[in-house]
Amino acid sequence: MWQVMGHETLVALLDNSLKGGNLSHAYLLVGPPHVGKMTLALNLAQALNCQGDQKPCGTCTSCQRIAGLRHADIQVIGLDGRAEIGIDQIREMERSATLKPFEGGNRVFIIDGAEHLSTEAANCLLKTLEEPPPNVQLMLLAVNERLLLPTVRSRCQKLELRPLPTPVVERALIEHWEVAPEQAMVLARLSSGCLGWAVGALHDDRITGERAARLSALLHLTGVGRAERFDYAAQIASQFSKNRGAIREVLSLWIGWWRDLLLIKGGCGDFITNIDQEATLYNEAEYYHLTGIKGFIKSMQQAVEALGQNANPRLVLEVLMLNIPQREGG
Amino acid sequence: MKLSCLQENLSKGLSIAGRAVATRTTLPITNNILLATEKSRLKLAATNLEIAISCWMGAKVTEQGAITIPARLLTDFVNSLPNDKIEMTLSPKTKTLELKCARFEGRINGVDADEFPPIPSIGEGVMTKIDPEALRLAIAQVVFAAATEETRPVLTGVYSEFDGNTLTLAAADGFRLAVHKAPLAEPVAERTEVIIPARALTELQRLITDQEEPVELTINPNRSQVLFRLKDVELVSQLIQGTFPNYNQLIPQSYTTRAEVSLAEFTKAARTAAIFAREGSAIVRLQITPGEELTPGKIVLSARTEEIGDNIGEIDATVEGEETKIAFNSKFLSDVLGVLHEERVTLEMTSSSSPGVIRPVGVENYTHVVMPMFVQW
Repeated sequence: MWQVMGHETLVALLDNSLKGGNLSHAYLLVGPPHVGKMTLALNLAQALNCQGDQKPCGTCTSCQRIAGLRHADIQVIGLDGRAEIGIDQIREMERSATLKPFEGGNRVFIIDGAEHLSTEAANCLLKTLEEPPPNVQLMLLAVNERLLLPTVRSRCQKLELRPLPTPVVERALIEHWEVAPEQAMVLARLSSGCLGWAVGALHDDRITGERAARLSALLHLTGVGRAERFDYAAQIASQFSKNRGAIREVLSLWIGWWRDLLLIKGGCGDFITNIDQEATLYNEAEYYHLTGIKGFIKSMQQAVEALGQNANPRLVLEVLMLNIPQREGG
Repeated sequence: MKLSCLQENLSKGLSIAGRAVATRTTLPITNNILLATEKSRLKLAATNLEIAISCWMGAKVTEQGAITIPARLLTDFVNSLPNDKIEMTLSPKTKTLELKCARFEGRINGVDADEFPPIPSIGEGVMTKIDPEALRLAIAQVVFAAATEETRPVLTGVYSEFDGNTLTLAAADGFRLAVHKAPLAEPVAERTEVIIPARALTELQRLITDQEEPVELTINPNRSQVLFRLKDVELVSQLIQGTFPNYNQLIPQSYTTRAEVSLAEFTKAARTAAIFAREGSAIVRLQITPGEELTPGKIVLSARTEEIGDNIGEIDATVEGEETKIAFNSKFLSDVLGVLHEERVTLEMTSSSSPGVIRPVGVENYTHVVMPMFVQW
């Protein structure tokens, strides 16, 4: 039994290849963060080392140790807090790849965040990637495959993990994580199809707390003058050097919010993301014109892009604050 | 788990098994050492997923059990204790191991033994025995020639061929090749060839220094692991996958010049030349001149580094064939001379651009091939 939720075609493909004995020597799993790349990779590792009949059984000691990342032949190579995956990590991996499997099954190397491989490390990997020793399976996980060297990409079979449909996430949360249906619905919508995010949010109250705080700040900003908006811009811009991800999270939350307004304006209220704020959204939508909402979404996207290009974060945010559309009518 | 043992024994056991504890690892538990009781003995085991060392020691066991403990911490603590009886008690709930010795005591938090990677045990396969002295010599004469760089993984291992009554060990790093044939104490059932990591053999060499009984050797049926069983110690090594290059074609079959020299003199002259060859490319030049009616043959060893200076040394040699010259890396020359024990050695060569062969005189079991360096004479 494969434990991956959704991704049925990929699972079927891997399952058939496994049974037919024609697995590719290296897979490149591409998909947004938390969509299930690692789960799928570990699941395949379990299948390759499973001692049960229904591979992967998930219950034999081998499967359980893989799930707990305690198996001697399964190695996950990741950033570990560093800026990139270095050549020494890859050399070490290649060294153990040449040894026969410790526990007698298959060695599986999972490179988590393959786009963070340094150029030297990626080049070093090429030889093993092209022709791995027998009983070695390589799995490269990447969010953005365009950041990989073309020579690395061309040596792997690419499997693309697409975001799951919201109902699938919702059902999975209810059935496997015993989440209350109302909460499951909100989380599923917010997850944008990434089950891992929803599960993470479930165990981490901070995520939901932060979201609520950011949303209320957003609502507050639309109603106040420039001075206060600029204060907020300065405040979050000061965090930028420490935590680049935080601003991006704020902006994506904002984009989601304004997208919902756009949907409501357009009469497609069923598809909104922030389902728990439905009433506020409908109320807010009254105050804005369609063109104003559309323009602001565009300027938020430009801000995200500018930040990615190392623009001054405070300036970018201040410009964004000026672009918040005027509340009208009501 | 509850037992008592002597500090001296525990410290020795930890130093043996501790050699296999992982230093850099992706699996944190391999920084730990496994302590497990087996009837009236205590087993210590560690692995870095390349080699695994288990050793057994006498202990008075009152309650069976097993636990893994951070190796560094335990070793440091045990080594600081006086030479006395150590009482060990494991509290299964908190996974804490309590050690009491004389007026000292300590408690160390451990991790469940079930989480430790299974130490491979090999019951069947190709089996043989070998005299420890012969094995030690074979390893010493070969292992240094294995590659340390990992660009070609098979070369970081030692090719080991078991055939009938003979074990052939061969190692090469692209510049030199060492081949040693050692007798087996028991013939193998079938011809078997494997590549054993050089690191594993280096550890084995260390372990068999005070071993007198023959070493038992088993290769498992799917050729993935080799087990060396010593008295109270077992070393299991993963084998390297791949095909070792056919080294026989690298050994020159003929020669045009052959010089026989005293090993002691050659070593001394090579060492002197190495002083001047230390910097730069470390070149030692050898000029081999055959003897004439009244003068004996000789080898002139010289080394030169521009900024430092130069030296010339001369040793007597029995030379057959033409006058010739050749240059070697001084480290490669000293390495091979350092592992030989015979009275005299021979150097065979054909030209200054083809490999030189060094063999001890009087024994037929060792061949060392060194690539020459290309120099302006």
